[in-house]
Amino acid sequence: MCSAGMGVCVRRCGGVCGGNGVCVRRQKSSELVASPMDWQGQKLAEHLMQLPLVLFAVLAFITGYVLGSFQTMLLIYAAGVILTSLIMIPNWPFFNRHPLNWLDSSEAEKFPKPQPANLGTKKKTSKK
Amino acid sequence: MHSVMLRANALVTFSVAILALMCAMASLSDYLNSPSPTAQVQVLNVYRFQKKRNGDDEVSLTFNISANLQSVFTWNTKQVFVFLAAEYGTPKNALNQISLWDSILPSKEDAKIWIQTTNKYTFVDQGSNLRNKDFNLTLHWHVMPKTGKMFADKIAMTGFRFPETYR
Repeated sequence: MCSAGMGVCVRRCGGVCGGNGVCVRRQKSSELVASPMDWQGQKLAEHLMQLPLVLFAVLAFITGYVLGSFQTMLLIYAAGVILTSLIMIPNWPFFNRHPLNWLDSSEAEKFPKPQPANLGTKKKTSKK
Repeated sequence: MHSVMLRANALVTFSVAILALMCAMASLSDYLNSPSPTAQVQVLNVYRFQKKRNGDDEVSLTFNISANLQSVFTWNTKQVFVFLAAEYGTPKNALNQISLWDSILPSKEDAKIWIQTTNKYTFVDQGSNLRNKDFNLTLHWHVMPKTGKMFADKIAMTGFRFPETYR
């Protein structure tokens, strides 16, 4: 999977070359904030936001109503929001288990290049 | 959702939307409460009853209020504003309401009222209609919730009458 140069490896697996040619994904602390999340991870992150928030809201409302305390409801929900934000906002490694594997440039040359259309270029320039 | 800021944005938007929903439900839950407040007022003494120089009647009186508004409070109640009004009709105005006393009840513990007082605010009629006039003393209250709809209700106590002569 993981061969010669660093450049190839980064493109292929989004990680770093391990010693025995296996792709190793090493996450630096800065990547928790800066690096983009893969597609599957984004879907997971959305689910990990909606479900806990709804559950905490239901729990908070029932507890607050039973105890007769509006403040308890707000505190429980606030705790839920903070906990959820810790789970879904940082780019944790478990969100990046499905990296996009780009083709090597040498492989891409075997396929015909798309013909640039006249209209296409105009559209691109106008959009940007 | 691919960057930290976009995820934070999505989280804040969604959590605030749910918070709004919770507040709406808290307001709706007030309808589940069916309060049974009680109130009694006794007029102890009308110690001043005069016609002012401009012809309007002015009354000063002492009275006794005992009321229990504890059942009005729910988990969504911030405070209750309560006031006692004298209500009577005259040929000019079908309903005159004159606030004699008011108070803010900040909590359920304060909602058991027993107070003996004179009228806190001046009681002046628009005209000279008060001699031998029947009037009601009505305890009004406005419930101010933490979120959502305000409620107002009252208990009217009938059978009061001003003296026949000025004193």
